[in-house]
This record gives sequence, C-alpha cells and structure tokens, in this order.
Amino acid sequence: MQRILILLSVILLLSSPACAAVKVVATLPWIGSLAKEIGGDKVDVTTLVKVSQDPHSIEAKPSMIAATRRADILMYNGLDLEIGYLPILMESARNPVINPGNPGNFNCSAYVTALEIPTSTGRENGDVHPLGNPHYHLSPANMKKIAVGMGERLGKADPVHAGFYRGNAARFSTQVDRKMKEWQGSRLKGKQFVSQHRFFEYLAAEFGFSIVGYLEDKPGIPPGSAHVQSLIAGMVKQKPHAILSTSYHDQKPARFVSSKTGVRTVTVPHDVGAGGSRDWFWLMDAVIASLE
Amino acid sequence: MRTSILAALLGAALMPFSAMADDLDLRLKKLDSEVSRQAETIINQQKAIEELKDSLKNRPAAEPALTVDSSSKTSGFFGGSLMNNPYISVILDAKGYVSNLKNGQLAGRGVPGYTTEGTGLRNGFNVDAAELLIFAPVDPYFNLYTNIPVTDSGAFLEEAYVVTTGLPAGLQVKGGRFKSNASRLNSQHPHAWAFAELPLAYRSFLGPEALGGDNGVQLTWLPSLPFYSLLGFEVLQGANPLLFGDDDNLGPHAFSAYARASFDTSDDSSLYLSPWVMFGSTRTTGILPADDVTGNSFDLRGNSALYGIEALWKWKSGRQKLTLQGEYLYLVQNGELSEIDAAGSSVKLEALKRHQDGAYLQAVYHLDRFGIGARYDRMEIFSDTFERSGANQSFGGKPWRVSAMTEYHFTEFSRVRAQFNHDRSDRDGRVNNEGILQFTFTIGAHGAHAF
Repeated sequence: MQRILILLSVILLLSSPACAAVKVVATLPWIGSLAKEIGGDKVDVTTLVKVSQDPHSIEAKPSMIAATRRADILMYNGLDLEIGYLPILMESARNPVINPGNPGNFNCSAYVTALEIPTSTGRENGDVHPLGNPHYHLSPANMKKIAVGMGERLGKADPVHAGFYRGNAARFSTQVDRKMKEWQGSRLKGKQFVSQHRFFEYLAAEFGFSIVGYLEDKPGIPPGSAHVQSLIAGMVKQKPHAILSTSYHDQKPARFVSSKTGVRTVTVPHDVGAGGSRDWFWLMDAVIASLE
Repeated sequence: MRTSILAALLGAALMPFSAMADDLDLRLKKLDSEVSRQAETIINQQKAIEELKDSLKNRPAAEPALTVDSSSKTSGFFGGSLMNNPYISVILDAKGYVSNLKNGQLAGRGVPGYTTEGTGLRNGFNVDAAELLIFAPVDPYFNLYTNIPVTDSGAFLEEAYVVTTGLPAGLQVKGGRFKSNASRLNSQHPHAWAFAELPLAYRSFLGPEALGGDNGVQLTWLPSLPFYSLLGFEVLQGANPLLFGDDDNLGPHAFSAYARASFDTSDDSSLYLSPWVMFGSTRTTGILPADDVTGNSFDLRGNSALYGIEALWKWKSGRQKLTLQGEYLYLVQNGELSEIDAAGSSVKLEALKRHQDGAYLQAVYHLDRFGIGARYDRMEIFSDTFERSGANQSFGGKPWRVSAMTEYHFTEFSRVRAQFNHDRSDRDGRVNNEGILQFTFTIGAHGAHAF
C-alpha cells in the first residue's frame, strides 16, 4: 500500500506543471526553430519531426503522443501536410487544449496565402494537396506573418510575457526585411530551374525565378519514363540552371536526368537543420547560396 | 392650471413640513452621487477607448478570425477541406488464392484443440470485403467512426463508436461497437495487417478476425509522463463466438485491461511494450468439432482469460523502415463441456481445463515502395494442457506456420502483396502450402494509421 502511495505521488509530481515555461510542441523543424526565436527562454519547445525525415511520410509514434499530451500549444504547418499523423496524434493525446478552435492549436498556414490550390483533387493526379501547396516556409513574406501571429498567440498563452513575445516577433520581422535586401541582391531573378517535387514555388514567386519542369509528373508519384524523356528533350532545348532536389528524396531520377542533359543537380537544404543550418535565416542563406 | 396648483398646495399642506425638507435633501444627495458616478463611468469608458486605440495601434496584425476565414484555413481535426461532410473512404481487399488443398478441405480446416473454423479463403478469386469507413467530429466533444465491411454475406456494422475529445487529465472514453484495443493487432483493420492474415495464435484463440467489433465501453488514461504510457479498461458484451460467445443469461460478460509503454531508442527508432488480458464468461461450440462416430457436438460453458504480451521495435530512417515484433499469448479456460446429441439434449457433462499458449515473431522491411517480411507462428511452446474430465487430450504434433511475403505500394492508397505460407496448423493432418496474392485499394479520405 505504501509503495503504491509513493508511486502515485511520484506520478502526480511528474504530471504537475513543474516549470512555468510554455510547452510548445512543433511538428516540423522550422516551426520549432521559429518558436524558439519568438519564445526565447520563456518556452520549452519539442519538435516532432527530425530534419532527416520526409515530412510527407511521418508516422505517429507513441513518444509524439506523450509530448503532445503535455503541450500548451501545438504548432503545425497545416494545408494537409501532416494529414498522415496529426489527426491521430491529436485524438490520442487526450489534451483538449490543443483541439482545433482552442488557443493551444496554432496552424501556421492560417497566416499564409496558399499557392497552387488545385481545381481538381482527384488522386489520378497523384497526392495533390486540396488546400494548396503546403511548402510555404521558404517564403520571407509568409514567415513574417507567421512570426507575428505566433508572438500574439504565445502572448495569449502566457500574458505576463506578451510584450516579450511581441517584441521578439517584431525583431524577427525587421531582421527578415534587412536580410531580404541582401537576398534580393542574389542572381536568382529570371533563372529557370527543374525541380523534383513542388517544393520551391513560394520561393520562386518571391524571388522572381521560375520552375519550368518537374521530375515528379504527379506529386508523390515516381516519374514515368515517357515523362522523363519529354522532360529531358525540353531541358536540352531550354537549358535550365539546375535540377533541384531535397535530401529526403531518392536522388537517382535527378542524377539520371542530369547525366542525360548535362544540367547539374542541387540538393537544396529543405528545413532547419539541413546543410548545417541552425535557424531559419541560416537555412534561407543556405538555400539561396545553393540556388545561385 | 389653477386647480393643479391648488391641489399641489393642498398636498403640501397635508404633508408635515420637516419631512418634505428631508426628502428634498435626500433627493439632492442621490442626484449628486448619480452625476458623479456617471462622470466616473464616462472617464472610465474614455480610458478604455484610449487603451483599445493604443492596443490597435501597437498590434501589427490581427489574428485571422476563424469565422471570416475560408474553410480551407480552418481545416482542423482530420485536416480535410470538407468540414461539414463526414469523411468517407472505401477499402477494397481482394485476394487470389492457391493451395494444395481442395476447397472442401480448406473450409473445415480448423486448428485441432483450439478452433473448428477455417480461414474462409477458397482457391481462385476472393473478395474479402469492401470496407466502408465514415468518420467525422460530432461536435467539439466527440468524434464518430463507423466501419461497415460489405462481404459475400452482406453488410455488417463492424464498428460504430464515439471517442471523447474534451475530457481532462488525459482521460478518454470510447463507446459503441468497436474492436477492442486491448491488443494492438486486435484493433487493426484487415487492410492494415502486415500479412494477409492474423498470426496463428490469434486465429486459434479468437478466430480469423480476432475479437471483432463488440458492443461496449472503454476507458483509457494517458498519464502526463515524459514517456508514453497508457492504461485501458473495457467492458464488452462478449460477442466473439470462440472466446466468449452470446449468452442469454448474462449482460456484458467480457472485460479487458491493458497497459502500454513506449520510448524512443534513438531519433529514428522506438520500442513498444504492452501486456494485456481479455477475460470473461464463455459459451461456445467452436472448440471441438462434432464427434466422427456419434455426430454429437460439444458445448462449453465456463470462464476464460487470455493473457498477452507484445513487444515491437520500429526503426524508420530516410526511405527505409524496419519493424520487428513478437507477441506471446496464454489462455486459461475452465468450464463444463456438455456433449449434445442430434436431438439437442445433453448426454454427457465433463470438466474442461485448458492452459494453452502460442506466439509469433515477425520482421518486415520497407525500402520506399517495396517491402519484404517473414513471420513464424507456433502454438504450445510451454503449455499444452487440454483436459477433459482430468485427462489430457492429445491432438498430435504442435501447430506451427511459417510465412514470407513481399509487397509493393504503388502509392499509399494501393498495394499488391504476394505471400506464401507453409501451414502446419492442422498438426498431424495435411500440410497446407498456400499462395496468396492480395490487392488493397483505398479511395476517399486520408485515414491515418495508429502506430
């Protein structure tokens, strides 16, 4: 009996809020990184997805459920990118605070103007995202809006430090503006690229380059040989600057097309942590350097 | 005019003088305080307006209002874009089957000492089921799931249950008809199985579909701990015809309790452990086949407890995934076995005692769209007690099976799987070498799978 009591009290002790820091659970590395930037030492951030993992094929591990159970705020990408694991994670976590509509549910995409919202969502077109292209995190304009929204939301969860969060968000915004001048100086404008996946559309829209072809004819489906042949034929004529790929993709198709066309392949760091990047600015620097 | 003045004078004259002065004084005081109160309110309101103006000025951007936003932005729980409609998906499970046994032999091929039910597959084409899944949040407090497999014998309500989403303290209640979560495999839908069929121990103790959908209530608790742990309890009607069985005399007569724990062994891998038990009262005719000579059948009434412990290790890195998993099941069953003749009357009553066990081990490896896997099933590892009137029955050699499979996922919505089984579950009976070509297709909502 005594042992049970001790065990129970240990459990209760562990389950009681030990420290005052706002517990943030972020799905993707860039979201976790941004939360650290805005929240500083006032937040305790857990990131569910590792940079080595393909964000499209994540499984809801029990450890993710345990982390989400203790979260004050769940921050996620949205636009169906986490559809394979987030719904089950949210139901399994038994944490009403993070349910949709509650302040603990922070959908970053709510601050984003989505591109490429499809008019037809049949799966004969591959794994299309009905809500639009979910890879918006390489867009400085969107990032500013998300940072400000995140600052406001953290302020709601922790009103005592609302000014701190707002200040950090404002600082982030001004830094984006400052870096933007530097990035605008890059020689990306007017360049043409071929990309493996629809990953760089927001970046292209903001930096004035274009994606003229895709290795993946249909999102999430490996390219068929007829498509690859016509792509190669087009590339030989058009001579795009490079073939863009990300580290979690199979590099073989990109290398094959490269060998047939002489267009070099570039493995672009896709999220914070890739290419040695420690935060989003670092990531953007690395992305733009790799594209040049 | 004159009359009214007169009336006022008269009224004043009737009133005591001093009282009138008091009244006036009081009224003046009241008015005074009212005026000052109103002034204060106005000042306060002005202050509030100024504060609001300030906060508006300082606020760089308003949070997007959920009501103004398009539905696409508020796609919440299941993440889809049709928030007001339930999510619907249909899963087709079709199998091509070849065996060295004839269809007649397959239909009657149970596991001696465990079950008389065959697997249900026939040589040639088989369409197991088109599973219709419909699910959606009911309101902010409940999610509702239904699972209606349509098979050769009709449409069934396999599952229809609600899950609470708003309970505090890590509690959750599930109620309705559902597949028990006591064992992880038991709750999986057939299309999510790693092989074409469940492990032999499940088929032997619970039947080819395991416990199946059963009416009841479940309570689970997820404590707020640094690692994943879960405790669950269930009260079920006990419909499974092999382990429990319909009983006219009893209401809910099946129960389960389970614990789960999991921790990450690295960034890319995690370990999962779960002990569980299903117990309750049993009434079944599915254990023993009818007597060859007399044609008498056997009806068991008694109590059963099925214990299990599962261990699972999953590693997922880049485009590769490896799953190692094993489970041990142990049955304790005590009761009375009555022999029923053709007329339906009991001709003999015997005490029955079963202490039997079984286990499986499996490994599945995936690289991108390809997968390969192997599984080994074995019954009666430590215990093979099957006593009738105190005498242990011998059914022959121990049942076992070995399986190998390879699969290809065209996308996450379509899969083809080729599996070969060398099946010795009939003990000293005939070996079944079977080949299964399984096709699984999913349309509709993007269902997420549990770990």
